[in-house]
Amino acid sequence: MSAAVGSATLRQQPYYLPLADEVEVFQAAYDARLPVLLKGPTGCGKTRFVEHMTWRIYRPQERIGERGGDKAAELEVPLITISCHEDLTATDMVGRFLLQGDSTLWSDGPLTRAVRTGALCYLDEIVEARKDTTVLIHSLTDHRRLLPIEKTGELLSAHPDFLLIISYNPGYQSVLKDLKPSTRQRFVSLTFDYPEPEREAEIIAHESGADAALAERLAVIGEKVRNLREHGFEEGVSTRLLIYTGQLVGKGISARRAAEIAIVNAVSDDLSVQQALADIVDTVLP
Amino acid sequence: MIELAQVESRLALFAEGIAGRYYHIKPSSEFASRRLVIEPDRAALTSDTLLLPDTLDADDPAFYRVLALEQLGLAEFGTLRFTVTEARRRITGLACFDEPDLGVRVSDFELFYQHVEHPIVLNRLFALCERARINAHIRHHYPGIKRHQDAYHRHLVAHMPVGDLVSVSGLLRFLNACLLGAVPPEFEADPVGRSLRQALESTASVGASVYDAAAASLACYELCEPFIVFHEAELHFPDAAKLDDPAHWLQREARLEDWHEELRHLDNQILAVEMIEAENVLAAEVNNLVDGDVRPEDLHLRALQNERDTMARRMDMERSAIRDATGKPRPRARSYRYDEWDYLHRRYLAKWCRLFEERLEPDFSEDLDALKRVIINHRPGVQRQLENIKPLGFQRVYRVADGDELDFNAVIQARQDIRAGHTPDERVYSRRERVRRDVCAAFLVDLSASTDDPIDGPESAPLPFDDDDVPNLRDPFHDEPYASAHGLGHDPEPRRIIDVQRDAMLVMSAALEQLGDSYGIYGFSGYGRDCVEFFVAKEPDEPFTRATLASIAGMKPKRSTRMGPAIRHCVTKLLRSGNALKVLLILSDGFPQDSDYGPERGDHEYGLQDTAKALAEAHDKGVETFCVTVDRSGHDYLKRMCPDSRYMVIEEIEDLPEALTKVYQTLTG
Repeated sequence: MSAAVGSATLRQQPYYLPLADEVEVFQAAYDARLPVLLKGPTGCGKTRFVEHMTWRIYRPQERIGERGGDKAAELEVPLITISCHEDLTATDMVGRFLLQGDSTLWSDGPLTRAVRTGALCYLDEIVEARKDTTVLIHSLTDHRRLLPIEKTGELLSAHPDFLLIISYNPGYQSVLKDLKPSTRQRFVSLTFDYPEPEREAEIIAHESGADAALAERLAVIGEKVRNLREHGFEEGVSTRLLIYTGQLVGKGISARRAAEIAIVNAVSDDLSVQQALADIVDTVLP
Repeated sequence: MIELAQVESRLALFAEGIAGRYYHIKPSSEFASRRLVIEPDRAALTSDTLLLPDTLDADDPAFYRVLALEQLGLAEFGTLRFTVTEARRRITGLACFDEPDLGVRVSDFELFYQHVEHPIVLNRLFALCERARINAHIRHHYPGIKRHQDAYHRHLVAHMPVGDLVSVSGLLRFLNACLLGAVPPEFEADPVGRSLRQALESTASVGASVYDAAAASLACYELCEPFIVFHEAELHFPDAAKLDDPAHWLQREARLEDWHEELRHLDNQILAVEMIEAENVLAAEVNNLVDGDVRPEDLHLRALQNERDTMARRMDMERSAIRDATGKPRPRARSYRYDEWDYLHRRYLAKWCRLFEERLEPDFSEDLDALKRVIINHRPGVQRQLENIKPLGFQRVYRVADGDELDFNAVIQARQDIRAGHTPDERVYSRRERVRRDVCAAFLVDLSASTDDPIDGPESAPLPFDDDDVPNLRDPFHDEPYASAHGLGHDPEPRRIIDVQRDAMLVMSAALEQLGDSYGIYGFSGYGRDCVEFFVAKEPDEPFTRATLASIAGMKPKRSTRMGPAIRHCVTKLLRSGNALKVLLILSDGFPQDSDYGPERGDHEYGLQDTAKALAEAHDKGVETFCVTVDRSGHDYLKRMCPDSRYMVIEEIEDLPEALTKVYQTLTG
């Protein structure tokens, strides 16, 4: 199987700081079983948002007192994430025959599993996948909610709790790999971006355990580095990397060294860009 | 000793990160203006350029960062938002003075200085107080700069006199020493010295605004005034022009936005009056005005229109003055520096050429449908060429570990191996894979003035004006692209070299779109080593759109042909693409030449040698190059610039599109 698949049980609430009305909008989309498209740069919190929403939908007993929105049946694995890449084929998602002894055995792919069990299926970086993959999801994302499995001749109806979520980064992905209108127009779309420095500092502090002063400085670094998006790292530095920096500092690495490892060396291989980033880090950190 | 050239690209990125916008980085010595002088050892900021000393007599490159940050701080921390009206409102001491009447064509800083008898002294004091304020802001917002700034200040203190408390210049030096954190203890006891220092320090806080700095400078002025025995020589400021400062011009530029707002307000007022007028036509008839009478509404409208015209004229003059003082802005360009090969001394001239890269302005006034027809007309010929190199699309790959189908031959083989007691090969699947060409091509089109020549030779289409009227295309102050003479009554217009070059680019674009190769289309021209112009019509990662078509249509003849830096820049772009096969095709109409491309203007050998070197460098870096010229005498110089197999002279210029496709096929097929 070439698809990078992740399955999450999500017993604990994943931390997510809402930046606007995205939680309410997603819940409304789920209630209407409308497929959701998440757009936004790398590391801005799309995956975390999906995890958080999955927890809200599938773990109602964990959030006693909260109201509103559909709740899905209890599932051991309520979220199946598929990280798409250019070698990902429809077979990887739907399933394939495996050799077992002298016979072959059908094995469901991650998408089929989600459709059968009623989990959320999250196709991360969908435009990276081959075109035949995106066409496959068409019948799942309209009123039919069907998954045709060509090799077994099965026409699988989606479980009532099932929902498909896809994401992509309009920033760095080639326009040649843009989503086709026939695919795009099957989804309601939520746009994400990096948070304002104050909010980002709050997220960094929470996720990395860094103190408020360091988190604020790291958020400023994020803001300044993103001003250089055009120089070979179109998406700037992600909140995720800023959190990593905070975590390294928490483990005893000096702030400058941590930023060098997690930011400067991580976002670009271009020496002059790295030097400029190091200068920014050196200037912003106390 | 640090040279700016060593840290320039790094500093440009740093400044862009901090400021959120691009600034060209240039040595102050390069600044040339008829109105404004910037000392070569000073740092300054203009609307799009950060000027820094060519060299610093120190070892730490971070000192350049300190200087850059101090200048960027002027824009970030509110210096340029200063207005004298607000200053008079906020500073009680200032309102006591009469408001100077110098007209509207001076900066608000100058108006502020002119409140006192010795403006130059207030000018220097304000500069010091404002610098103290900016430094405080910088150190608060960018705490990491502290140690570098302190080191830089220590370096400066070691190289400057401390000052005294008996003359104005001494007091200024004393304040400067205070600013740099080096206050001689003997001055602490002096009441004037102490008061001056306290005034300066009052501005050194994050809460202070530019008006606090102005108030502090006024307080300092009052303390200094008794010491002014005014000999300008004593102040080391020999003339009044020293009052001028790039920041003043930036403030005037910022003020233009306010004026623009006023202009819009006047436009709205005029529109409102005109609308009321229309409604009141009937009322006017009722009033039975005698012929020749002017109604009050008309008078009001006329006054508003006059006011608007005056404002518009004033803005035009102001823009022109600012441009005259700070130079032609290039807000959409990015600048790069490249070495040049000096064949006479067999060495590279480091960072010799400055190249400005900017987008080609799309020309939507061109008939884009006619351009599309060019593509359609050449399609059959191009299609034949492409068939030779087009990949097969998808292919099924067998015996892979992962795929959408079982590969039954592999499965049987694996079963046999198991039965024979061998370890089976687990690669029992097959999958469909797209066969892709890993090619990136760059087309570099010469946009020199000579491409405006008709393709049948200049003698067949005489220019319709006298020699005296012919614009000097190589004049650096001639800003507009060459307005073609062919639009002045000749019908039909003769085809020019640039037209054929553009057609060739269109045809190639359509061909490569079909092929799926990534490609960029660029043009180059310029004037002199400080102004090589590199125009981008399309980058490899951009789709071919209507805007691309208009950008190619926007390729116009411009100035000279300094080929070396344009090639080096193109190669840099190709290397960044990461593709396995990188191809550079250069389209020109003559040999490389520029105003200072070599020791003598008429000597073309220097340009040839530098271009040959740039092509050789490209080859060494793995970039395939090919030169195509429409100059029939091209053999004479091309054979000295590149191997025979790497150039082509087009005899019939109209054959260029097909010829180019053939060349491309040979290079990448």
